Amino acid sequence: MSNFTESAKNVLASVGGVLTSGFGWVGGICRLLWDATIRGARRPFGIHDIFYHMVSLGVRSLPLATVMSLFVGMVLTWQFGEALIGFGAKNAIGYASSLALVRELVPVILALTVGAKMATGMTAELGSMKVSEQIDAIASLGADPIKKLIWPRLVAATWSLPILAVWGNVLALASGAVIADVVFDVPADYFYETYVDELWPSDYLSGLGKSVVFGLLVGLIGCYQGLTTKYGTEAVGISTTNTVVATSVSILSMDFILTTIFLPVS
Amino acid sequence: MAAVIELQGVGKSFGDHTVYQDMHLAVEEGETLTVIGGSGQGKSVCMKMMIGLLFADEGEVRFRGAEVSELDHEGLRALRQKVAMVFQGGALFDSMNIRDNVGYALIEHTSMADEAITARAWECLDMVGLGQDRGLLERMPVSLSGGMRKRVAIARSIALQPEIILYDEPTTGLDPSNIRRIGSMILKLQKELGVTSVVVTHDMPTAFRVSNRIAMLYERHFPFVDTPEGFKHTEVPEVRNFIQGRVRDGA
Ligand SMILES: Nc1ncnc2c1ncn2[C@@H]1O[C@H](COP(=O)(O)OP(=O)(O)OP(=O)(O)O)[C@@H](O)[C@H]1O
Ligand SMILES: [Mg+2]
Repeated sequence: MSNFTESAKNVLASVGGVLTSGFGWVGGICRLLWDATIRGARRPFGIHDIFYHMVSLGVRSLPLATVMSLFVGMVLTWQFGEALIGFGAKNAIGYASSLALVRELVPVILALTVGAKMATGMTAELGSMKVSEQIDAIASLGADPIKKLIWPRLVAATWSLPILAVWGNVLALASGAVIADVVFDVPADYFYETYVDELWPSDYLSGLGKSVVFGLLVGLIGCYQGLTTKYGTEAVGISTTNTVVATSVSILSMDFILTTIFLPVS
Repeated sequence: MAAVIELQGVGKSFGDHTVYQDMHLAVEEGETLTVIGGSGQGKSVCMKMMIGLLFADEGEVRFRGAEVSELDHEGLRALRQKVAMVFQGGALFDSMNIRDNVGYALIEHTSMADEAITARAWECLDMVGLGQDRGLLERMPVSLSGGMRKRVAIARSIALQPEIILYDEPTTGLDPSNIRRIGSMILKLQKELGVTSVVVTHDMPTAFRVSNRIAMLYERHFPFVDTPEGFKHTEVPEVRNFIQGRVRDGA
């Protein structure tokens, strides 16, 4: 009995510890968003830096985004095709694939892969700047590290992910059409018509809206983890690893929240 | 003489590791104050508190009478235009070339033209003994040796002509002639521009050469503060052991 209470206490204590650090982490992320907005969104906006980070984040992620989108379009269309054949409704394959791809899979898959890549890149870069005191050095020269380092990365991530998602949607549609045509003998142009016919502007918007939020989340987590890196080089490795876990979990939970918000609308 | 930077009753801990306890130290206007003390005792922390990168848990850190922890963004920005810091590890910006590193504060705080910034960067590099090869301006920090990085870091901190410079081990890793040069530069800035300096160093010859006063960190505060002459002829065993230990190590 006392053994049971003892272990129950331990479980409660560790759950409490996890909750406390989890809330602290979320609080830190919110604080960073607040600081970056207050201190970043004023003249000079740092357009040059933002553009630089967009190009480097976007262009460096283009191959990955391309591969992921092609495969997710093919796999999903194939699965839906198999299921629909059972109902003798394989011609509906375009209708079935479009919503799932545009509203859900392209934004989420890209955020989980490309987004995680962006976030870890930011954590590693900012983390090593933190460890080598470069962030302190920026502050010591009278400049604001939040404005100089965080703001351009946040804006760039928030823009890059949706732009990549637009590209990803085109590819997923095209690769889906190839599968429909080659595997299921549904003409590609018919697939395209039904695919587009099923979509309302609100569907595009909810897909894009998700990408924007995911992009912001990716930037925030990547930067926050970098800034809170402890001293020592192995600390950079630790915080980068944590970034992967944090982005995946946050993106999927945020996806659930956004789906419950967006779905009743459309 | 008035105190420019004043630390009073300062306490500072990291977790349960106490670095400072009831510590007092004042930096007088126009002087060069050298801080000595064993490794890992808190010399770098002391400098970071002076410039508001770390804040004391207890006590007061004042810059020209204003409490540093109470300064807002603009206040800290103004403080850091007057007080510059040379980091122990150099802390050069890896993503920028040497010209942009040295000119960073000029780009941030002045509206100087590009050529003027380059000229000033060059002038500062020359002062730290890097004025032989103009190609240096375009090079990246990774391609420099440790001693060169250290000197570029010094050049970066003097570019905006600060009134107070905090040097964290400015001569570590340099050859004897560059150690002399950095020492001369500190003296020259003091004499010609009235710059106040705080120097952390393990290098006692430099400490004796440039300092007006020396403060020794011992057991979480500064119990021994005296002139170089006083330190040389001190009877206090702790101080004597420390200085002679260093001299013997260096020889
Ligand atoms: N940001 C920090 N977080 C936690 N502990 C720190 C931090 N900065 C310094 N410390 C600790 O404070 C103590 C003093 O560090 P500091 O870097 O000031 O030493 P130091 O006197 O400059 O040593 P050295 O001569 O080796 O440079 C050390 O024990 C260090 O581990
Ligand atoms: Mg130090």
